[in-house]
Amino acid sequence: MAAEKAPDTYGITAPYGDELNDDVTHWDRIGEFPHDKWKPLQRSGLFTLPFAPEYGGAGRTLTETMAALEGLGHTSRDAGLNFSASTQIVSVGIPLQAFGSEELRGRYLPQVTSGEAITAHAITEPSHGSDVMNIRTTAVREGDEYVLNGGKMFITNAPVAGLFLLYVRTGKPGAFGLSTFLAERDTPGLTVGEPLETMGLRTSPISEVTLEDVRLPVGNRLGSEGAGFLIMDYVMKREVLFSFAVNLGEMTHRLKRVVEHATTRQQFGSAIGKNQAVAHKIADMRIAVETARKWLYDTGLKVQQGKDASLDVAATKIVVSEANQLTAQHAIQIFGARGYLTGTGIERELRNATAGSIYSGTNEIQRNCIAALMGL
Amino acid sequence: MSTVTNDPIRAYIVNEFLAGEDAEDLTDDFDLIESTVVNSLGLVRLISWISETYSIPVDDIPLEPAAYRTLADIRGFVSKAAPAAV
Ligand SMILES: Cc1cc2nc3c(=O)[nH]c(=O)nc-3n(C[C@H](O)[C@H](O)[C@H](O)COP(=O)(O)OP(=O)(O)OC[C@H]3O[C@@H](n4cnc5c(N)ncnc54)[C@H](O)[C@@H]3O)c2cc1C
Repeated sequence: MAAEKAPDTYGITAPYGDELNDDVTHWDRIGEFPHDKWKPLQRSGLFTLPFAPEYGGAGRTLTETMAALEGLGHTSRDAGLNFSASTQIVSVGIPLQAFGSEELRGRYLPQVTSGEAITAHAITEPSHGSDVMNIRTTAVREGDEYVLNGGKMFITNAPVAGLFLLYVRTGKPGAFGLSTFLAERDTPGLTVGEPLETMGLRTSPISEVTLEDVRLPVGNRLGSEGAGFLIMDYVMKREVLFSFAVNLGEMTHRLKRVVEHATTRQQFGSAIGKNQAVAHKIADMRIAVETARKWLYDTGLKVQQGKDASLDVAATKIVVSEANQLTAQHAIQIFGARGYLTGTGIERELRNATAGSIYSGTNEIQRNCIAALMGL
Repeated sequence: MSTVTNDPIRAYIVNEFLAGEDAEDLTDDFDLIESTVVNSLGLVRLISWISETYSIPVDDIPLEPAAYRTLADIRGFVSKAAPAAV
């Protein structure tokens, strides 16, 4: 268990469990970002983990950060909040630390590590989702500034974010024409749409972001012109590892709950778990959770060691997101009608798990990627 | 094939783009792009791998395909950007 691997980071959000789990059903129903629950996350130090101490970070490794996020998933039943928290770490902070100028890092990283500025990254566009290398939002250089025009879609945290990382086109079509810019929310011309109503992860707000003659200084560019795809590749690997480590914690908790129910709920004079049909589902859940764990930490270690992990990341994303959906589906079946009720929180987990095969590159695109890496 | 194990860049290209194929032809001046051994997706991955493996700041990574035409070209800029690595 990851808890044994890195106990010091795994448990960092555990003391805040009561605050994080306060009235989760209500927050899910109203579908709003629970601002008050962000504060315990800030106090826990979660947002500081993978960042350098000079920016308020804790200087922990990638796998230690994964363990902490797994711990969050185990502690907090608010998967939307958990998703927003992993987005906070990966969307701006990670690329800013790796690719930002000293000036940008000094100015913005402390706001990210403290959680004072909520962050978002904007890649997807209404006309280009999976076809990400062909996004159309442009940044045209005019002297010491770039002028950005276009629109982004489905941007996690956008409705509450203070800082945005924007992936736009500065050059030719395709991957080599992409660049990345940091923008503050109140930059003139940057407009955040109303939160979009969603099926799951309802406390993690997503919306459109429109850019109309947004003027950004050249200094707000991360890396050189054309390096956007490099930054995206770097970020997406970590996004998969961080956000799906959260899912691992959520699944581990789910499995415990299911075992407890299957050993205590009696029908026909014995615990329902004594029926092979139920026990096999639980065995399959266990296999799915442990497979997810192995892929996550094995891939995490590879990325941490600087090895090429393109295929591993794609496979990890598929394995964990599908494990999350399978275990959530089984949990409902094993809880029977109780699992179908909103109040037990079991049905919410299936709604939350659904998004995992869509964001961070859909599972179809990940399979295409694996096939291409195999020379097919 | 001792060169494969001694040269991580060559090893990467052989493993990732020529798996199962005879890598004998992969001389230092073999044209990886023209031969389509490395296609556009492959190029994107190759550049990402080099940047991460050798911790080369993105500003020092050439972002035009020509810089990746041959093993010699790739080694050339990697040894300039990360002299200790090659
Ligand atoms: C909860 C959530 C949070 C998100 N957060 C962010 C965020 O923070 N920032 C951001 O930029 N984006 C975000 N997204 C957007 C997400 O990245 C996109 O939804 C995703 O990339 C797919 O794009 P699309 O929805 O436009 O689907 P499309 O690209 O239109 O695809 C529709 C369907 O067709 C399939 N398909 C498309 N092309 C192919 C192909 N070549 N082969 C096989 N199948 C194919 C897809 O797999 C999918 O099933 C988020 C999405 C969700 C659901």
